[in-house]
Amino acid sequence: MMALLPWGVSKTKRTVHESVGGPSTFEDLALPLLPALYNVASWLSRNATDAEDLVQETFLKALRGFDSFEPGSNFKAWIFRILRNTYLTSRTGLRAQRTVSLDEQLEEQRDFGPAIYPEAAIDRSTPEINLILSADRAALHDAMEKLPAPLLEVILMCDVEEMKYKEIASVLDLPIGTVMSRIARARAALRKSLEAVTALNRESRA
Amino acid sequence: MTTHLSATVLNALVDGELPVEQFAATKQHLDQCPSCTSSALSQALLKTATARAGQRYTLPPQLQERLRRITSSQELHTPLDRHDSSAKIWTMRRIASLALPIAAVLLLLVSSSLLMQRYGKNSERASIEQAALVAQILDLHIATLASDQPPEVISSDRHTVKPWFQGKLPFSFNLPENLPADTHLEGANLTYLHNRAVAQLLYSIGRHRVSVFIQERSQTSTTQNPQQAEHSGFHVTGFDTSDLEVTAISDVDPSRLAGLVRAIEEAQTKH
Repeated sequence: MMALLPWGVSKTKRTVHESVGGPSTFEDLALPLLPALYNVASWLSRNATDAEDLVQETFLKALRGFDSFEPGSNFKAWIFRILRNTYLTSRTGLRAQRTVSLDEQLEEQRDFGPAIYPEAAIDRSTPEINLILSADRAALHDAMEKLPAPLLEVILMCDVEEMKYKEIASVLDLPIGTVMSRIARARAALRKSLEAVTALNRESRA
Repeated sequence: MTTHLSATVLNALVDGELPVEQFAATKQHLDQCPSCTSSALSQALLKTATARAGQRYTLPPQLQERLRRITSSQELHTPLDRHDSSAKIWTMRRIASLALPIAAVLLLLVSSSLLMQRYGKNSERASIEQAALVAQILDLHIATLASDQPPEVISSDRHTVKPWFQGKLPFSFNLPENLPADTHLEGANLTYLHNRAVAQLLYSIGRHRVSVFIQERSQTSTTQNPQQAEHSGFHVTGFDTSDLEVTAISDVDPSRLAGLVRAIEEAQTKH
């Protein structure tokens, strides 16, 4: 569980020694992550005003709790965890949690077994590869917007933020196995959405 | 070769998360299985496309500047700043030895400028903190409204609710004996604001629900309790005493909310 953040105003000038490189202040560590925090906050809240509130609240919580940050540990995972916890207690976060269906939660328990791909000769122009190559950014945006929040956050951290499974598990407070199954489900859902778009385009051309 | 690589293995492969020993076995399988090689290529392409599409929102410059100022405003309290101030005072003394009246005027100007600068930065930070406080209070209130769980203490009796907090909070407060018309105490929760233990009193005014958050006044906090604020259709109001910060939120008519807050404020002066 995340360490409790002390209420008192922290000292931004307190330095921590990162595992690589020299000592860093809160400013050094947090300001470069603002664009990434805002991007993820915007995806999750789907609203510019809520995203600004979310980033600001996260930033202030991190600033206050900087004394509890363990030097040498992963600051990015730490601050993303604050963002995620803040999001969960926000209005949009509560709404998103309520809209995750029971089926989706049960599906999480399912093991992604072997042999899900049909046998085929190696081909760099399979329908699946063509589908992804032909998908434009707008189609991918639509597909990502359709993902339920638990799948969206995991794919943002994995693909966009390039976090390791272990870091994602720490941010989301989940076992690594659940992170892996969510990533698999998220990518399967993205592919399914893209297939639907391609089928629609094909029908409209016919 | 009948068993293909699972989606989990393919994902771990493109995410660079396969353990070394599994990577060797996977590579051997891919060398012999065109189907899985196509699937791995497809996964890698999807990952790259998602990474590109996911970089969608640009941080507004004004937000970046606002947050940057928050960190820099705290530098005013650092020892480095005191060293700078000492240097300025030493310079002033040198000037004073040459022309005392001019130095006095200059000193006044510099002090005013420093005070204004500090006041400006602190007041900006306070207003941002206040907005964050209001947003968090709104989230807690909505979470309470949305919850199926009853309050941790269910009682309309102030003599039951107040003692319930003994040992749970590092401070105490009074509850009003007489409430405005159609206003009832419903219960209370122990909750957290900025990770500090806080009393959340639950009242009803007619059919409207009200949350009143009572917390210990922080010596270090620059946050001023909002006298009147609006957020997403909810009204927020409150007051500070020397020991407590009290903030109430509801969608009820602001004058009726103010009546309840006034009753709570008056109760704090009684013993």
